[in-house]
Amino acid sequence: MASLRSFFNSPVGPKTTHFWGPIANWGVVIAGLMDMKKPHDMISGNMTGVMCIYSVLFMRFAWMVQPRNYLLLSCDASNEAVQLIQLSRWAKGNGYLGQKKDEAAPQ
Amino acid sequence: MATSKLQALWNHPAGPKTIHFWAPTFKWGISIANIVDFAKPPEKLSYPQQIAVTATGVIWSRYSTVITPKNWNLFSVNVAMAGTGIYQLSRKIQHDYFAEKQAVVAKE
Repeated sequence: MASLRSFFNSPVGPKTTHFWGPIANWGVVIAGLMDMKKPHDMISGNMTGVMCIYSVLFMRFAWMVQPRNYLLLSCDASNEAVQLIQLSRWAKGNGYLGQKKDEAAPQ
Repeated sequence: MATSKLQALWNHPAGPKTIHFWAPTFKWGISIANIVDFAKPPEKLSYPQQIAVTATGVIWSRYSTVITPKNWNLFSVNVAMAGTGIYQLSRKIQHDYFAEKQAVVAKE
């Protein structure tokens, strides 16, 4: 209980935006997870590619910002993973990853 | 005079030598990607993604004013993100809930 209370009152706790900002960013991760079951043509190559680079940059940002934000760091690490998976699904679906069988790819 | 102002910007704690500059600068890519996707048909838009982009933009606009260093670059990019997210959501909602009637009438 005491550790929960100290977290609740901490400078990065739920009374501050340092907490809710990263919580909002988990929404992007959850959206990505929900979209994993969708057909690949629903994936935006633009957005997913951008997200992959963005998440790496913000992992660094979360480390360097004052106060240091581990919640944001973990969120962006997870987002990186999710977006990379989505990107590979998109690439595969659009014929960018080579096919193993000898199929004629649409040109 | 101009050089010293430029120097001040260059050496700013949220300036181009730091991640506090490059992370938000790259984040503009998300809004740009979303603007490019304005041309996508609404059926191809993702509710979860656009809701997440909008919510993140709104909350982070506040976040960027309370971190150290205070980051106006980050503030502006999140305002823009929220804007593009809201626009995409309105496009999709309009298509899903308000355009159906016209499509049904056209089929008959």
